[in-house]
Amino acid sequence: MNADLLKQYLKREGATLVGIGDVSEALTSEIMHLNRGVAIAVNRNLNRETIAVLSRLQGLTVGWLSARGYRNLSIPPDSDRRKDKLITKLYKLFCHKTAATCSGLGWVGKNGLVINRQYGSRLSWATVLTNAPLAPDQPVRESECGDCDLCVRHCPSGAVNGHHWSIREPGRKIVAYEKCSALKDKRQSLEGKPNCGFCVTVCPYSRNGKVSGGTG
Amino acid sequence: MADDARKKEILEKLRNGVIQYDEDACREGANAAVAEGLDANEAIFDGLVSGMEEVGRLFEAQEYFVPEILMCADALYAGLDILKPHCKQMDLGVKGSVVIGTVEGDVHDIGKNLVKMMFDVAGFHVYDLGRDVPLDKFVDEQLKTDSELVCLSAMMTTSMVGMPKVIEKIKAKNPDCMIMIGGAPTSKDLADKWGADGYAEDASNALKEAIKMVAFLKKLRDEKAAKQ
Repeated sequence: MNADLLKQYLKREGATLVGIGDVSEALTSEIMHLNRGVAIAVNRNLNRETIAVLSRLQGLTVGWLSARGYRNLSIPPDSDRRKDKLITKLYKLFCHKTAATCSGLGWVGKNGLVINRQYGSRLSWATVLTNAPLAPDQPVRESECGDCDLCVRHCPSGAVNGHHWSIREPGRKIVAYEKCSALKDKRQSLEGKPNCGFCVTVCPYSRNGKVSGGTG
Repeated sequence: MADDARKKEILEKLRNGVIQYDEDACREGANAAVAEGLDANEAIFDGLVSGMEEVGRLFEAQEYFVPEILMCADALYAGLDILKPHCKQMDLGVKGSVVIGTVEGDVHDIGKNLVKMMFDVAGFHVYDLGRDVPLDKFVDEQLKTDSELVCLSAMMTTSMVGMPKVIEKIKAKNPDCMIMIGGAPTSKDLADKWGADGYAEDASNALKEAIKMVAFLKKLRDEKAAKQ
């Protein structure tokens, strides 16, 4: 099943990137039948309503797939903050990074975030899992961070250790999240803003440049 | 009071809202039921629960999978939240409280939550201990709340082995308390072997079993009181 129609539709409606991933290997028994992941990304720089835009795009995707008789499950962009419903239990069975890498839209950087060649880590993600036999894109299999270690050097909490991600080691811990969240808590109480965002802003890909050694 | 045709329409809306996991439809149906003076218990059982029964059938027929079941349950709750405050005392003949949780070592609580929902629907007071619950917590909570019913859930064989210990401890302290076990690895045979009073493979069975058991318990207590 050709996925171009869906991709073009979502891009017309405001998606920055859309990819289709074969996510079979990342699924647990509850959602095993939904083996395609539609990864939808929106550039956070475009506007402040990123989550609302993503939610709307997700709704359009569900409508598009349902109208053609396929099943689907939306993993919302802020899935970690949703706890009010029973369906939210399923959100943690699947992460946006898997859909993003499987659909070839990026790799997991040393900073633990999806890095896209054009937009770096400035994207927000939403995923729709479906059983529609959409033709999958080529996955990204290895990290393309190379020798760059700007995020390792700039992380104020020391959470970024410089580990390389690979699709072959899905369980590997890239970032010491406990250190990162300890700093977030502290910042939240001192400044009312949890995210420092250094790992996003120092990344050469996020600044829309090419990685060119240590010019940063 | 709405006429019969309108009543049927509202019940149908609630039922279909659950089946089609449409939370908005369930909310609309529930609001209409309240506004137009429908009996809230009837709206719950002939509307929402009737829809959930169909969902159970669709699940068995493998038309629906776990994600659909959970979305249907969310739709049911959307309606239930509105109808619950308007419920009269349940006329099921029983009313009880229940302690429920997934046993130590097990973090799977999807089935447990569905069972909990059915207790909510039936008007039970539910003490939900959550998941990965230390075995002694069940015993303590039962004593503290004097619940007639304790429900133990497990999804894995490795955590299921904690169940007989809990059953033994609760029965030693409070022989009148009824205990139900449930979850994928459990069976009627295991329930019998461990001295559990009930076994439920799925949410709708758990509810039926629970009502039966609480009714039986009340009868026992009444008989005891009559003798004294």
